[in-house]
Amino acid sequence: MRFLLISILFLLSACGSYPKKQNFKEVANAKVEITNPYFSNSAEDYVYKADITVFKNSFSGIFIVKKLDKNHHRIVFTTEMGNKLFDFEFLQEIFKINHILQEMDKKVLINILKRDFFALIKENPLAAKTFTKDDLRITEADLLSKKHYYHLTNKQLTKIVRSAKGKEKVTFLFSGISDNIAEAIEIVHQNIKLKIRLKKI
Amino acid sequence: MFFLICTSSFAQSKMNDSEASALRSKVKSLAETTKTITADFIQYKHLDFLSNDIESTGKLSFKSPDLVKWAYVKPFEYSVLFKDDMLYINNEGEKNNVDIGSNKLFKQLNKLISASVTGDMFNSEEFEISYFEKKNDSEVHFSPKDKKFAKYIKEFHIVFNTNAEVSEVKMIEPSNDYTHIVFSNRLTNQKLSDAVFAH
Repeated sequence: MRFLLISILFLLSACGSYPKKQNFKEVANAKVEITNPYFSNSAEDYVYKADITVFKNSFSGIFIVKKLDKNHHRIVFTTEMGNKLFDFEFLQEIFKINHILQEMDKKVLINILKRDFFALIKENPLAAKTFTKDDLRITEADLLSKKHYYHLTNKQLTKIVRSAKGKEKVTFLFSGISDNIAEAIEIVHQNIKLKIRLKKI
Repeated sequence: MFFLICTSSFAQSKMNDSEASALRSKVKSLAETTKTITADFIQYKHLDFLSNDIESTGKLSFKSPDLVKWAYVKPFEYSVLFKDDMLYINNEGEKNNVDIGSNKLFKQLNKLISASVTGDMFNSEEFEISYFEKKNDSEVHFSPKDKKFAKYIKEFHIVFNTNAEVSEVKMIEPSNDYTHIVFSNRLTNQKLSDAVFAH
């Protein structure tokens, strides 16, 4: 009986949302607007050196983002020598593959990249709930029907967490921020051994 | 306006057969006597949707017949050494080897990258080749006949200076985006330490 009770309690806590598990409290009627400004300037060529580790393999290249228009982005990855590995495009939520190296043309991989890059470029996701704990504030938004939590420190976006079943699945960290440019961006997957590090060049 | 178009198209005019053959033999005989090359390079990556080309600079080292090392210095430190069927990469101190033996495409690409350093790639079985004069320089266009390969690179353009040395290489993708490499401070047949090609 006691075991059953513990099991139920455990199940309940396992089903809790990410903010509840982190001991955040919901803020009633919080009117929060989320802004991710890091790829929002269409005059800017966003060019980053990318270092990617997948399991024990590592490779690198140049990661390029251009905002072509409102809600319209182009995302290209090349080797240092300039060979294009993939060329993606987002128009709203519509995802288009302009080019991908045959060796990378795998549905699982493309879906991971699509979700990760959408979170990078989505400028004004619709805020759902807001939570607080001490000085911290996080705001929930759905991106491609997955829950994301935006961490805003002094109204500046420093972290996005994608969660599933209350657990942190993917973390996006933005640092070295000035003039709406993040010098360093890190995308860390918790459930698979994948880490993408971007450094502005 | 019409006049302007005419003059600009005349700035690059097609070579006749004897001029083309003279260039070929000049490039070939230079390639045969070239044991080593070092040069600085600037690489311009052009993507049509960007406002500016992405620029990087570095140093090329070549040792006959097919050792090539591209060492980027700015804006990041990265080098890639082509040796046998391997790519030896040094990414800001972190080393990585890629075996390309099983990948026909990469093998072809590497062979061409080695060949383009001296420019001796006049293989008419592999390429459709056309020859142009451009002021004092010559420009040769190579378009791969292999359809699979042509999906990656539509055309190679190589500019030769009056000494038949490669001064520029341009690799054009099917989308018309391209990588343009311009060489300078070229030194030929200087002694090159083995350490340059160590990994």
